[in-house]
Amino acid sequence: MTPAIELENVSKIFGKFPAVDGLSFRVPQGVAFGLLGPNGAGKTTTIRMIMNITAPDRGEIRILGNPMDRETQNRIGYLPEERGLYRKMKVIDHLLFLAAIKGVSRDVAKKRIDTWLEKMELRPWLRKKVDELSKGMQQKVQFIATIVHDPEILILDEPFSGLDPINTALMKDYFQEFRARGKTIVFSTHVLEQAEKLCDEICLLARSKKILEGSLSDLKKRYSGDLLLLSVDAKPGEIGSLPGVASSQPANGGYLITLTPGTDHRDFLRRALELYPVRAFSQKEPDLEEIYMDAVRAAGLEESRQIE
Amino acid sequence: MSWSKIAAVIRREYMERVRTKAFWIGTFLIPIVFIGYIAIQIATSRKTSGERKIAVVDGTGRLFAPLEKDLRAREQERARQSKDKDESGQTPEDRVRAASAAGRRGIHWVLEHRGRGLNLEQTEDGLRREVLDKKIQGYLILSPDLMTRDPAEAEYHSTSVSEFVTLEELRESVNRVVLKEKIARRGLPPELSIELEKRVRLNSFKVTEEGSTEEKGGGIFAALMLMFIMYMTFFMYGFQNLKGVIEEKTNRIVEIIIASVRPTELMLGKIIGIGLVGLTQYVVWSLVAMNLSLPGIASLMAGGEMGVPTIRFAVIGYFMLFFLLGYFLYASIYTAIGAPFNTDQEAQQLAMVPGSFMVGVWAVFPAIMNNPNGGTAVFASLFPMTAPLVMFMRTAISEPPVWQILASIVILIVSTVAMAWIAGRIYRVGILMYGKKPTIPEIVRWVRYSPGRSLQPAVNEPK
Repeated sequence: MTPAIELENVSKIFGKFPAVDGLSFRVPQGVAFGLLGPNGAGKTTTIRMIMNITAPDRGEIRILGNPMDRETQNRIGYLPEERGLYRKMKVIDHLLFLAAIKGVSRDVAKKRIDTWLEKMELRPWLRKKVDELSKGMQQKVQFIATIVHDPEILILDEPFSGLDPINTALMKDYFQEFRARGKTIVFSTHVLEQAEKLCDEICLLARSKKILEGSLSDLKKRYSGDLLLLSVDAKPGEIGSLPGVASSQPANGGYLITLTPGTDHRDFLRRALELYPVRAFSQKEPDLEEIYMDAVRAAGLEESRQIE
Repeated sequence: MSWSKIAAVIRREYMERVRTKAFWIGTFLIPIVFIGYIAIQIATSRKTSGERKIAVVDGTGRLFAPLEKDLRAREQERARQSKDKDESGQTPEDRVRAASAAGRRGIHWVLEHRGRGLNLEQTEDGLRREVLDKKIQGYLILSPDLMTRDPAEAEYHSTSVSEFVTLEELRESVNRVVLKEKIARRGLPPELSIELEKRVRLNSFKVTEEGSTEEKGGGIFAALMLMFIMYMTFFMYGFQNLKGVIEEKTNRIVEIIIASVRPTELMLGKIIGIGLVGLTQYVVWSLVAMNLSLPGIASLMAGGEMGVPTIRFAVIGYFMLFFLLGYFLYASIYTAIGAPFNTDQEAQQLAMVPGSFMVGVWAVFPAIMNNPNGGTAVFASLFPMTAPLVMFMRTAISEPPVWQILASIVILIVSTVAMAWIAGRIYRVGILMYGKKPTIPEIVRWVRYSPGRSLQPAVNEPK
């Protein structure tokens, strides 16, 4: 099946600095794809290039197999990081306008808006000006505006930033529903825990470059051999000096040990059992943050980690 | 180009503006101000009615009585005329004229005869006192040699010497009386004065391709009104484009919009939508004007002496053509100026530039009126920024050579297209520009870049 989105060696340079450097990835149809990385990694630029808002200097971007065109544009729902609204417009007019420029007929748009406003409990605010709405309600309006044309692909830049807990839950629910209908979601975030819960696949960016890509389950499998939880009485330095240990940190009566890639954890365990009284050990499934740290370390880009 | 998307933008721009209170207040306030202005005109012309009590120092010794008689006769004549008009005034225009005539009916002269006294200077001192104490409004000095001197001069002293209607009436009367006196002295029949008083009226006609039409000034007045409307549109609605662009940037809505609409489409939609708002306002105004009878107002404002404004069909055609071209030109300019900036304040400096061209038109306006085919007029009607206003004016008041009209139109079309193109490029880059205020060289660079190149500098990027 044609990938929903495909980037091939895409670069974008601002002045002298590359904002995105030789980026390639594929987003298969029907997955939730997370574009991850710290602020300044190039996520927004990447998304803007996908949306054809800024043109790449090099490389190719294909949406559903073709470069972005008007037809495709209408099939995408886009929520930029800076979420704007016409402050003086009435909620209904605002939504009707945004639906119209996505090519939705007025009648269809009216019905859909009605359903959504009902669902989001915004019905009484239909004829109010956007200005008169609370921030939480404005976020709901923005969200409805993004999906009012029933897009096939959702592209969201930091969709959870600034959302109150209710709206966050609402957004997550919609994510699940949207994915259940076989549609594609691409979103960027710098909050890794969120991505971990919502993504099927991820692409990690740091310093304008891709450092990791793949499905979350594959990545976890790939990295799980490297992470061991060891219940042991030993001094921190002693564990850290064992061969094959990349790092160790104290964790509930023992240590969480990261092995250097390529180390067989059985070899390490044998050594440890010989030297120290090991009470228990287990292989830990890494969370996304650990995978991220590991990948950054491997790419030699450690200093660029600035997750807020 | 997707016309359905442009239509959506036009609809939004139009509806959102026309729905505001500010629009309707502006739409109704401006005619009210305009009518108020006319009302003041009428009120001030009424002020020339009432009693004028003046002292006359008659050095000749025989002009006082005839002068008093003449003024009285005029007064009666006017009263009879305006009565007739009141009765016959059926059209609104006639009514307005009658009202204006009635306004001037009222000057009632009361003359007091004064001797020269022993010393004219002393007498004058006394009279001056009386004027300042408001016992009399002024005094008239007719010197003894008035009948023989050349040039003949008389003096009128008053606190206000700018009441033209009053002065004119007095001057005419004095002249008539002197004329009659001279005729009588020579022993000629007194009726001769009536004959001699009759002046030849010089009527002006405008030669056009369609023939000669009498130009009573109404046509020129109407053309000037249209020109003023053009000027206001370029200024006000042109500027609305600048504000609209900046507003979308400040709202941060523009990124969402251009994910669906091309920048050029958005720009075009905005320009057309805002232009339609302007047209709506004019439709309302012309409805108001039709009720109040614009021709009547026009003739009233020019002193009631003009005919019904006649505007040639061709002039209306030129108006529409130059109006559209000019609006697009100015709207593009204002859009280009608005796009790079984030606040009205930042854009203000540059926003003065197009305005100054339009103000410049008024600076050369008298020169063009006096010589509609002179060098200044020709230059100003070819220079794109002033061409719509000036060329339209020239077609209305004179018959410019066809090649000049065509040249003006061609230059205007070319500049409008070029400006729209430049504006489109600046717009495309500028609308996504946040952060520091760009410099003019930077903006020029945006125009030169092709779409695929990097334009957004790092300021645009997340911190």
